[in-house]
Amino acid sequence: MNPALLTTVQVVVVVTFAPLATGVVRRVKAFLQGRHGPPVLLPYWTLLTLMRKEMVLSTSTSWVFRAAPYVVLATALLSAAVLPLVARGGIAAPLSHMVVVAGIWMLGAVFLVLAGLDSAGAFGGMGSSREMTISAFLEPALIVTLASFALASGSSTVDGMLAIGGRGLLSRPWVLPALASLGLIALGENARYPVDNPATHLELTMVHEAMVLEYSGPYLALMELASMVKLAVFALLLVNIVLPAGLLTTATGIVALAAAPLVTAVKLGAAMVLLALVESSMAKLRFYGLPEYFFGSLFLGLTSLALGLFAGWL
Amino acid sequence: MNVDELLRSLAEMSRDVRVSAEGRVIAWVRRTDFPGVATSLHVRSGLPLDLLFATDDRAEGRGFGVHAVFALDQAHYWLEIATDLPAESPWYESITREVMAAHWYERYAQDMFGIRAEGHPDDRRLVHHENVPALTHPLRKDFAWNTRLAQANEPYPMGRVEGEGIFQIPVGPIHAGIIEPGHFRFNVAGERIITLEGKLFFTHKGVEKLLEGRTHADALPFVERVSGDSAASHALAFCQAVEAIAGCKVPERACMLRVLAVELERFTMHLHDLANICGMGTGFTVMAANGFRIVERLRRLSARLFGNRFFRGLVVPGGVSTPWTSAQMADAVDTVDGAWSEASSLVRLALDSDTLRDRLETTGVLTRDAAWAYGAKGVAARASGIDRDARRNHPHAGYGLLSFSGRTRTEGDVFARVMLRVDEMSDALNLIRAAAGFCRDRTSESDYRADCECRDGDALGWAEGWRGQILDWVRMRDGVIDRAVIRDPSFCNWPLFGELGPGNIVPDFPLCNKSLNLSYSGTDL
Repeated sequence: MNPALLTTVQVVVVVTFAPLATGVVRRVKAFLQGRHGPPVLLPYWTLLTLMRKEMVLSTSTSWVFRAAPYVVLATALLSAAVLPLVARGGIAAPLSHMVVVAGIWMLGAVFLVLAGLDSAGAFGGMGSSREMTISAFLEPALIVTLASFALASGSSTVDGMLAIGGRGLLSRPWVLPALASLGLIALGENARYPVDNPATHLELTMVHEAMVLEYSGPYLALMELASMVKLAVFALLLVNIVLPAGLLTTATGIVALAAAPLVTAVKLGAAMVLLALVESSMAKLRFYGLPEYFFGSLFLGLTSLALGLFAGWL
Repeated sequence: MNVDELLRSLAEMSRDVRVSAEGRVIAWVRRTDFPGVATSLHVRSGLPLDLLFATDDRAEGRGFGVHAVFALDQAHYWLEIATDLPAESPWYESITREVMAAHWYERYAQDMFGIRAEGHPDDRRLVHHENVPALTHPLRKDFAWNTRLAQANEPYPMGRVEGEGIFQIPVGPIHAGIIEPGHFRFNVAGERIITLEGKLFFTHKGVEKLLEGRTHADALPFVERVSGDSAASHALAFCQAVEAIAGCKVPERACMLRVLAVELERFTMHLHDLANICGMGTGFTVMAANGFRIVERLRRLSARLFGNRFFRGLVVPGGVSTPWTSAQMADAVDTVDGAWSEASSLVRLALDSDTLRDRLETTGVLTRDAAWAYGAKGVAARASGIDRDARRNHPHAGYGLLSFSGRTRTEGDVFARVMLRVDEMSDALNLIRAAAGFCRDRTSESDYRADCECRDGDALGWAEGWRGQILDWVRMRDGVIDRAVIRDPSFCNWPLFGELGPGNIVPDFPLCNKSLNLSYSGTDL
């Protein structure tokens, strides 16, 4: 199959299923709490409703506030294009160099932070300050973790790292701590438990939600869609590392294209059920407990890296 | 100093000492003696100040009155120190510097009556915001309740800390959740709270003014709605005050049904708080969803027994409105029994969660000294080691006939307040069982309400609601209410945030807030 087609199919499939993933995690969480919960398709309707709604812009905002939704969504879409989520070896895959990937996510975070500050509200600034604190701990952990995978696979692109996915992990068990670390990072990057509570109404405890508090209407829809896509990207990436089955490649025929959405949906569903289990079984961490959480992640990444180097010498 | 000595020494100073039927010593002192007597009662004799209020007695040519009510907890008595202030210069020396618990009461009297407490360390407005013109004193008799005020812009500065890296966070008065309005001003260095101050009274309703000129039966619906979550306990405190004035003897069955109503309310609200603190406050959502589910069952019990979901309408002057059948009592006991067994398994789940305990322990510590100085009430006080409970110290309704000891904890953090609520829920269950048993064995269904006329006089009425001690002072004149003071424990506990907030981080404040669960409505009278 054409590499350009692979990337296109991947972006379309991921964006299409991202709201469903958010709907599933909310529904499963509700089920675990003994509630009925909202319909799984509700996020689609929420986005459509927001697109039609009037937008209120604070007079104290600048172009940064108006640009941020596009930049944040663009970074989410870019990460959906370059990473091996539905297909491997797409035309954008060479761009999935670990530093580039970290940079893409950081760019989105920076604009989110600036937008939070730009609205000049107390909560936006508070959210931005917290996001920067978290980022300062999270980025080193992310780089070290991806470096362990690079060492294990001999490839510096995330697309190439997938070569050691699945059974490959068993022959290189020292990379498993890095996998755990990536899981912790995924929760942090997506503002999920135990780092942030995506469902809270308590302004004083928010991180991600505080930064987008001043958004409304279509801009809010873009921000929400960006969060959903990012969550789906991380979920699929983690699943693919553990189980790289069913991925499209340049070698697969056009018939496999029909199966791709189904495979993606199953993978996303499994990841969301797992996420709902994690989120229902614990309280959010104390904000000052977060450094320990991210240092734990950094340490896991370093462990993998050290063991990997050691294994290389033998 | 024992009580007899105290009263003897008071008798020497005052021009008039009398003892009223409901268990209250009233001593009238001169204006110049008032601060000295009040201060020595609190500082030297260690009596807690439970109420301070003003009256407008100009119609009788006595100017204004200021009354301070102290509690003689061991002797089960109240001690009211009163003084007259001349109408043309209504001021007295503030007692707040020595008796900190008086600070909001004195500012309240300043706004509502124009009575100046000279030397008050914080003489800003309290009830009136910037928009109320100067010299507006709504509780004076010559102020009509429907007066339309001009828009003013008087100063009401909030505390501000200056320094590098110090930020102010204004929160509210409109909040994200479905709660009442209140403004909080944080001064923070990073996430750490340096000072925290609240500004309330956004929805001041003028309840005290509206009660004046009404009979007790007409006033009761207002009192029950002072704070919707404490309808039974507010009704109980108010009814006991008017019954004391009327000299009405409440039948035993009614006393026990009142215990049932207040304890059902306590059980329900403690369970609600448990779910709200552990669930919503920390994001441990399993607690919230399941806690609120069980609370709903108790609300439906209220709908069956009271005809509404808020424990309203049972407590009336003279007794209770319906005697309840044995079947209804069994329904109450069974429902609470079932709720308790489910709630205790939820509590076990909560205690097993490390992340949850980590959030609750050492958060929002209120020291014993601070709780004592501010005159903290209810769970807030008892979780910080202050063993005060009006059910035991000032037995009312049927509590004197039931065995009950009361609970305390010493840590003073959010966790202690949560666990104290759990302990009090189990006590409430026992009291509900005992009260239902007492009704079944020793009372008749036909004797549940005595006549309660509107006589003239004044009296205190009190109840230990789930939030803490409610203390009302009612004066009837010509068969109608002349002045009614309704004091919800929230009024005493709101300033505690200035103590338990600082040192915590901003994201933990909602947890501190939920652990006290104070009423805006009960304060914005």
